[in-house]
Amino acid sequence: MATHEIFMPALSSTMTEGKIVEWLKKPGDKVERGESVLVVESDKADMDVESFNEGYLAVVLMPAGGTAPVGETIGLIVETEAEIAVAAAKAPTAPVAPAAAPAPAAPAPVAPAPVAATAVAVPPAPVAPVASAPVIAAAAPRSPAAAAGRVIASPRAKKLASQLGVALEALRGSGPNGRIQAEDVEKAAGQPVSIPRIAEGSAAAVLASANGAASANGAATGAAASAPIGQSFGAPGETVALNTLQQAVVRNMNASLTVPSFHVGYTITTDKLDALYKQLKGKGVTMTALLAKAVAVTLARHPQVNAATSADGSAMAYPAAVNVAVAVAMEDGGLITPVLADADRTDLYSLSRTWADLVSRARSKQLKPDEYSTGTFTLSNLGMFGVDRFDAILPPGTGAILAVAASRPCVVATKEGAITVKRQMQVNLTADHRVIYGTHAAAFLKDLAELIETNPESLVL
Amino acid sequence: MPPRTSAILFEAAAPVPFALAWNWQRQLQARLLADPDAPEALLLLQHPPCYTLGRGASTDHLGFDAANPPFPLFRIDRGGEVTHHAPGQLVLYPVLNLQRHGADLHLYLRQLEGVVIDLLAGLGLAAERQPGLTGVWLEGRKLAAIGVGARRWISQHGLALNVNGSLEGFEAIVPCGLSGRAVGRLSDWLPAITPEQLQAPLLAAFARRFALELRPATAVESLPDWPRNLDPGPDGGNACPAFPRQPTPP
Repeated sequence: MATHEIFMPALSSTMTEGKIVEWLKKPGDKVERGESVLVVESDKADMDVESFNEGYLAVVLMPAGGTAPVGETIGLIVETEAEIAVAAAKAPTAPVAPAAAPAPAAPAPVAPAPVAATAVAVPPAPVAPVASAPVIAAAAPRSPAAAAGRVIASPRAKKLASQLGVALEALRGSGPNGRIQAEDVEKAAGQPVSIPRIAEGSAAAVLASANGAASANGAATGAAASAPIGQSFGAPGETVALNTLQQAVVRNMNASLTVPSFHVGYTITTDKLDALYKQLKGKGVTMTALLAKAVAVTLARHPQVNAATSADGSAMAYPAAVNVAVAVAMEDGGLITPVLADADRTDLYSLSRTWADLVSRARSKQLKPDEYSTGTFTLSNLGMFGVDRFDAILPPGTGAILAVAASRPCVVATKEGAITVKRQMQVNLTADHRVIYGTHAAAFLKDLAELIETNPESLVL
Repeated sequence: MPPRTSAILFEAAAPVPFALAWNWQRQLQARLLADPDAPEALLLLQHPPCYTLGRGASTDHLGFDAANPPFPLFRIDRGGEVTHHAPGQLVLYPVLNLQRHGADLHLYLRQLEGVVIDLLAGLGLAAERQPGLTGVWLEGRKLAAIGVGARRWISQHGLALNVNGSLEGFEAIVPCGLSGRAVGRLSDWLPAITPEQLQAPLLAAFARRFALELRPATAVESLPDWPRNLDPGPDGGNACPAFPRQPTPP
């Protein structure tokens, strides 16, 4: 007795979603092993999708004419006729929502393995029992445990379950059709569910992660030492194929090797910005929006830093607008750069709302290409991990990317020679020297720092 | 250069009714499904006038009643919208095991475009791809339409290149569902060009792209109804039967 999921297949490394042209079987139909069940179309190519299992098509989760992201469950096959009704009764009427939750924004390029996001502020108590829970990799299709029980879980949930040693059979899924989501596994493992999802280089987040790291360390040495804390896409000993987004990152990063880039760093005092953020937080303004706005307003005065080398390398291209892209790591690997278009001319509240919408749609892989490919300048923020400095790789087709680190209290000598404590963050600009020269980068950073240090209130106007 | 494996070439000298050519493709596909290591095959031919629709194609792009089409209309197992075939258009149907060619359908489409681009480059014409608009374009006009179908990575259907035939049949449809995009033919650039002149260079360009050596069918590989059943049907319109030609070495 088992249920087998039919996934939207990857018919190409460049395919992100596919259209279901036709279901060749109806729910209730008998399906032989190797028999075509449906037809998927991508671009001008059709492919018959065959069942790997003999059984019955129990549920169609995405009807013909619909489009689903690669890897999404689009139908269920059960082994016996008796299971059809059970699976059908549990089936959601709407398409299954994508289960993967986005991870904290990592800088695209450099360190795609964000550290210890899930380790933030682990309450020590619930961790202990988890450590002794049996590790049942219900995810493995060939595992007898999986075959014996009826478990529907997202791929991410399965991976997490095997990493954290959580028995999927014991969980009640919060997803459609009782599907176990990554969050359910985290909850069961005593991991905080409210991990920072997007880069928010706010004081609060930084403090929380600093404290959290300490307590997590304590917990780890105590009980949960065996559970890996960092993100991983495979188990030890495995070699895991790159997914579409990861392949896209490889292509983009390789393309950047042909760009003569250089780095310029700057330390910015953020006491005023942090105070402003505290005031506006209640109104829904995010730190991402504040930083994007500050960068955009400064870029509008420094068009050279918003420019890029033309595709054939023979000209400098000055974009018609200031579109700030912000790198967001996807939990299932790869990353995406949703774009805040016209960020210099859009008010903070709209930017914050737009950003929330972009991130939630990025999470469900619903972004349109012009929503992640039209950035003229990129922001990458690792501040929420307490990172004190890093540099970023330039996305192809743009002239510069700014790496933003954590804002932290620092002992500072003032101009008058006094010693004081101020909150400071380091930013590091990567720029294409064919377009942007050292003086351009320096003047841009000086103005950005001046705006953030002396006049952040102007961002609200 | 990877070592070349051989593929069987079936090259017809006169227009082949669509249903017959489709049947051949399915026979060749069935051979590869039964034995994925079997030789791949290639059909090069022309069709009498007809229309075909992809499996998911909309009938909204037909300028006529689907129940009463001006030429035979087929809904077939490929991707893409409606297209038109007629004499003067070269049609290339590779039946390949795409797992030997990258197992990537988008890559396969780009490679088919590449075959035509290579061919036209040899004629001094700089044809191009247009992002998101599969096919081969020259000065804003679409010269080659592409649509494929696959089962267990064994391909069917392929590309159609307008050489010197009438384009009238395209006026009754919105080709590939793209309104406002013109269809072109090579003879508008090269007035003397004929499909027959292009067969050998097209096959050579294909063989190069896919690293295949083309050879004629052996006795056991021949298609049972080739070319005996080529009598024109009531709607066929082609007067003479097709004869397989010896392939030209690439």
